[in-house]
Amino acid sequence: MCATIGVPQALLYYKYYPQWEAFLKGLGAEIVVSSATTKRTINAGTSLAENELCLPVKVFFGHLVELRNQVDALFVPRVVSVENGAYTCPKFLGLPDLARSIDSSLPSVLDPTFNRRLGRKKFYEALLDFGKHFTNKKYRILRAWMMGLSAQRVFQRKLESGLTPVEAIANAEVQTYKGNLKIGIAGHPYNIYDSYINLNLIKRLREWGVDVATTEMIPQRTLEHEASYLPKRLFWSYEKEVVGSVFHWLRNKSVDGIIYVLSFACGPDSLIQVLLESEAKRRGSLPLMSLVIDEHSGEAGMITRVEAFVDMLRWRKV
Amino acid sequence: MRGFLGVDVGSVSTNLVVIDEYGSVISLIYRRTQGQPISAVQQGLKELQKDLTPDIKIAGVGTTGSARYLSGVIVGADIVKNEITAHAIAASHVAPQVRTVLEIGGQDSKIILLRDGIVVDFAMNTVCAAGTGSFLDHQAARLGIPIEEFGSYALNATVPCQIAGRCSVFAESDMIHKQQMGYRMEDIIYGLCQALVRNYLNNLAKGKDLSSPIVFQGGVAANAGMKRAFEEALQMEIVIPEHYHVMGAIGAALLAKGTVRNGETRFKGFSVSSIDYRTRSFHCKGCENNCEIVKIQVDGKTLACWGGRCGKWEVQNPEEADLLVQASTTSSVM
Repeated sequence: MCATIGVPQALLYYKYYPQWEAFLKGLGAEIVVSSATTKRTINAGTSLAENELCLPVKVFFGHLVELRNQVDALFVPRVVSVENGAYTCPKFLGLPDLARSIDSSLPSVLDPTFNRRLGRKKFYEALLDFGKHFTNKKYRILRAWMMGLSAQRVFQRKLESGLTPVEAIANAEVQTYKGNLKIGIAGHPYNIYDSYINLNLIKRLREWGVDVATTEMIPQRTLEHEASYLPKRLFWSYEKEVVGSVFHWLRNKSVDGIIYVLSFACGPDSLIQVLLESEAKRRGSLPLMSLVIDEHSGEAGMITRVEAFVDMLRWRKV
Repeated sequence: MRGFLGVDVGSVSTNLVVIDEYGSVISLIYRRTQGQPISAVQQGLKELQKDLTPDIKIAGVGTTGSARYLSGVIVGADIVKNEITAHAIAASHVAPQVRTVLEIGGQDSKIILLRDGIVVDFAMNTVCAAGTGSFLDHQAARLGIPIEEFGSYALNATVPCQIAGRCSVFAESDMIHKQQMGYRMEDIIYGLCQALVRNYLNNLAKGKDLSSPIVFQGGVAANAGMKRAFEEALQMEIVIPEHYHVMGAIGAALLAKGTVRNGETRFKGFSVSSIDYRTRSFHCKGCENNCEIVKIQVDGKTLACWGGRCGKWEVQNPEEADLLVQASTTSSVM
């Protein structure tokens, strides 16, 4: 039976942490979350990871290393599919295996499989299998799962009210920023809310008097609906959300401009980047800037570009 | 008479410009940075002081370029702005009817589309600086040709040769290869210009409606070969503004004029050119990030710091910065 479970503050943490927290607590586990990404996290992660991996996965490894001596086991779910007819990025499919392969000194890796494509029965079987690490009582496992789902619904509502995942997890109040400009930030949550790897993008923009909207703040139905304008349905769930948010803003113009944050070695991102840029050009309604981040991101270059983007949007408005 | 000073310290050149109340250039200094931004600014200020008539009073200062924070502290800037904004402002000031601005500087390149004086679209190069001024500079040095003559060589080309311009590393090996094959220097140089223009248009201008008047500015506009290559590629006339090489500084001066209006300037005077500024960097021990902080000091007293992720070092007044640095050094001793 496991007592203390480590949850890395990286990758899907930003998407599902409230659900995982309620679920694991319901199973009777104690949770240790790694601290926010720092330079040390990145150094630890990059020194262990294959060079070809994307930055967010390297960062994830850094978080595993931090948790190494504090927990009995690491929580690394294998998120294969979160909806019918769509998958997640291949790296999520193999994440527990990647985690096991990087360092033999890591504690054991608990990897519940979340795969909606296998149907309800298989899904719940996998869930019960995972629950056995904590309890033999099936009802307790299922109740914990329900608690997770309801925590996730509360979380989702908080995001839609304008909080970032980080703020929502910290139970922050919704603040009204009285900026005279609004920018939509699209991208994977682990890129846009990890303030270390994106050089504090959201905080900086708010300090410059810019209101920020993000992909997560748009309801799921809207994202799905907007993304369905594509002639062929995207088969990556998370990328579909990014595309949905950008299409949403391009159509209703509720923001003055869009910054699309992507990580350098991300396969799916490199494909939707082209899709988004050409669609933005075709519709011609809003300026879109792609901001590529990697572990070598030069602060000077990136800040200059964001600052100039904001200036131009302001200038465009007057 | 009131004058407004714009300082643009870039990777390749350091430019100082003084404009009058109407935005016309009274005086300009263009010099090489040569990796020493502080002394470049100080020497520039000395030259500028000699050049200006005594009746001109500096009423506002703006700094821009990659050393904008550093130079902002040295001269006492009223506004510190990125070079992209500064260039756009200058272009629409000197040519109000302009519709397309092509800009290639030392380390960056951008395209700005304006309609009726309003920016409608723009793009900048990403982290990669392939095809910008410092690459041309490097190639000129490698070929042993002064960069000023690069353009005239290019104009003498008869059969430009194909150079791979996608990446500067490949471009360089391609050029060496062509030299070894026995191509004429002129043809290689113009081939390089064409490659850079192709790269620029593919990266920044793809799908954009480039309509005339087109203005080409930035240090690279001095290269007549680049102008010719742009004109051939676009089949349109390219205008190079009179002060094409100091447009960033003009933009900074215009921004200063807009910021100060009738208020007081923070300009420290021309005497700063003889102060002994020293910069040092250290690692902040405040958290795991260990950010590299740069401090600028005079006689052991800190004037300003920058470089941290969290923003705690970026304080506005010098006294506060000095206290911060002192506090951090005593704590690290303990």
